[in-house]
Amino acid sequence: MSNIRHSLQIRHVDAGSCNGCEQELTALTSRAYDFQQVGLDWVASPRHADALLVTGPLSDAMARPVERVWAAIPAPKWRIAFGDCAAGCGVFQSAYATHGGFPKADLVIRGCPPEPGAALQQLRDAMRWTAIDPNRQVGD
Amino acid sequence: MVNPWIRQNVAMKEAHAELLTLTATRDHRLQATWLHPRSGCQEQVTLEASQEYFPSLTPMLPEVAWDEREIHDVFGYIPNGHPDLRPLLRTPRWPDNFRPLRDRPSARPAWRDAEPDNPALTVEGEGVTIMKVGPTHAGVIESGHFVFSLMGENVLHMDAHLFQNHRGVESLLEGQTVDAVGAIVTRICAADTVSHQTNWALAVEALAGYDSGAGLTLGRIVLLESERVLSHLNDLAQIPAGVGFQVAHQQALAIKEAWQRSLQRLYGHRFLFDTVRPGWVVPVDPEDLLRLVHAIRRQWTPWRRLVEGHHGFNDRMAGVGVTTLAEVIRFGGQGVVSRSAGKVFDARTLLPLYQDLRPVPVVESDGDVRARFSVRVQELEESLRLIEQAAARLRAMPRDARWCPPDAVSGQVVVYTESPHGLNVHDVAVVRGRVLRYHIRAGTYRNWPLLAHAVPGNAVADFPLINKSFELCYSCTDR
Ligand code: SF4
Repeated sequence: MSNIRHSLQIRHVDAGSCNGCEQELTALTSRAYDFQQVGLDWVASPRHADALLVTGPLSDAMARPVERVWAAIPAPKWRIAFGDCAAGCGVFQSAYATHGGFPKADLVIRGCPPEPGAALQQLRDAMRWTAIDPNRQVGD
Repeated sequence: MVNPWIRQNVAMKEAHAELLTLTATRDHRLQATWLHPRSGCQEQVTLEASQEYFPSLTPMLPEVAWDEREIHDVFGYIPNGHPDLRPLLRTPRWPDNFRPLRDRPSARPAWRDAEPDNPALTVEGEGVTIMKVGPTHAGVIESGHFVFSLMGENVLHMDAHLFQNHRGVESLLEGQTVDAVGAIVTRICAADTVSHQTNWALAVEALAGYDSGAGLTLGRIVLLESERVLSHLNDLAQIPAGVGFQVAHQQALAIKEAWQRSLQRLYGHRFLFDTVRPGWVVPVDPEDLLRLVHAIRRQWTPWRRLVEGHHGFNDRMAGVGVTTLAEVIRFGGQGVVSRSAGKVFDARTLLPLYQDLRPVPVVESDGDVRARFSVRVQELEESLRLIEQAAARLRAMPRDARWCPPDAVSGQVVVYTESPHGLNVHDVAVVRGRVLRYHIRAGTYRNWPLLAHAVPGNAVADFPLINKSFELCYSCTDR
């Protein structure tokens, strides 16, 4: 068995971001980073996803839709918090209409927004450890 | 007899003034601030609301329909006579009677165990189908919820439910010290961050009576225009993607990436976060800037030739998603969307900030996707010109001495800049160095209702294209 997976398909949901994180996620698809080349991709349906990536401090209006997308992803599956807001250390943590971040993340990618080159490296590392230890995920 | 609040505000509109903000305060005051586009003078109309009610302006001024719904949601004041008082920000999860800007929430409310969706306005009748899109989307975009009423492929009506990204920024800003505001304001929206930062800096400087020097001003212009280049590059990359023109999409993303790497090198951030503060702007070497503009032109000019010479692409954009000048005026449309339909308004021409650089508003008349694309192309080149001019002047300029705002600054002021998405206004009240009320009205807020008018009559498959050509921020609107 190879200890690196050949693809990691990710469903993205914005939960109150400032759009900086989204723009950097889009940059990953551009030819400068070309993350599809190494088997990473955004997928349109949670049914096709291995991981859920959330940006923003988890606005209350998006909390339920995020839960629903998570429930629709088949196991094994992982949670990724992208950016300081989702990581629980952004400037909007205490705003009333947020839940202060995306909890129980298996992978936290810090930065405001994360630099795409560094983010790509962390996602590639995740392709390694999700293959070795599919049970690393933290509860449901 | 017509109520004076209505009469005075309608008179402003009839005098062709631009509405900067319409907002309320905790003590039942309503305040509309208008800008006279010829003189650049501001005029305020105020109303002491009788406890919970005030006369709605919406039947006479449809552009404030959302502002009044928002005031109703966050303050609980009722606009009497409003034709559509459905919740705007408020969701069924908000506790009864929870009014965040009236109550000053110190903790999060106890959310009700309910779905966040508000009822949608749809068309009923034989053969009408309802299509719901969002709030989660198939691609990497911000969250928004749209309910389409369709007849076959044609859109009859689009009901936009935004505010999925509502964080409570205005409430968070209340009580913050002058030092703490910048980091929050910077992050209202990544696409318009310099505009938001500059507004805050201008507000504090105006309240403290500080007159910024030419070096500071030029440094800010360079940043505001660099932001416009970045944002327009992003939007220009997205429009070809909406029709499957991948080459133009990828090449524009590559130019954007080159621009962002340069911004990182020159200013230390790929989106220019935290580059403007009261009395301060991040320093830059003018020679570096001039080299940067030169380098980006070498990539930009061939791209412009590619997209302008592609007849299929231009035909595809023509006549799609039309907004008329009459609609723009009626709904107070702003920015690229309004200039593409023939409205000659660009706040840069009024800002003392731009001094004698004489920015020229770019105006087209068709109001379709093609016009919005074309306005951005021309504005991007105008921004490069402004950066070059400002950089050339900066060469001969000594750096301004550092200024720090006094601790006990107080007062109320309405400030604005022209962000890449249009007129961006902050209405700021500070008492002894702490924010009392902070209202943010970005250009996109007025353009969302226009989008809802531009989509019906088009095929639903064209919605992504029309949407991308408007390229409206969610985060600026939702706050
Ligand atoms: S982490 Fe920073 S860039 Fe990302 S959404 Fe939050 S404020 Fe925006």
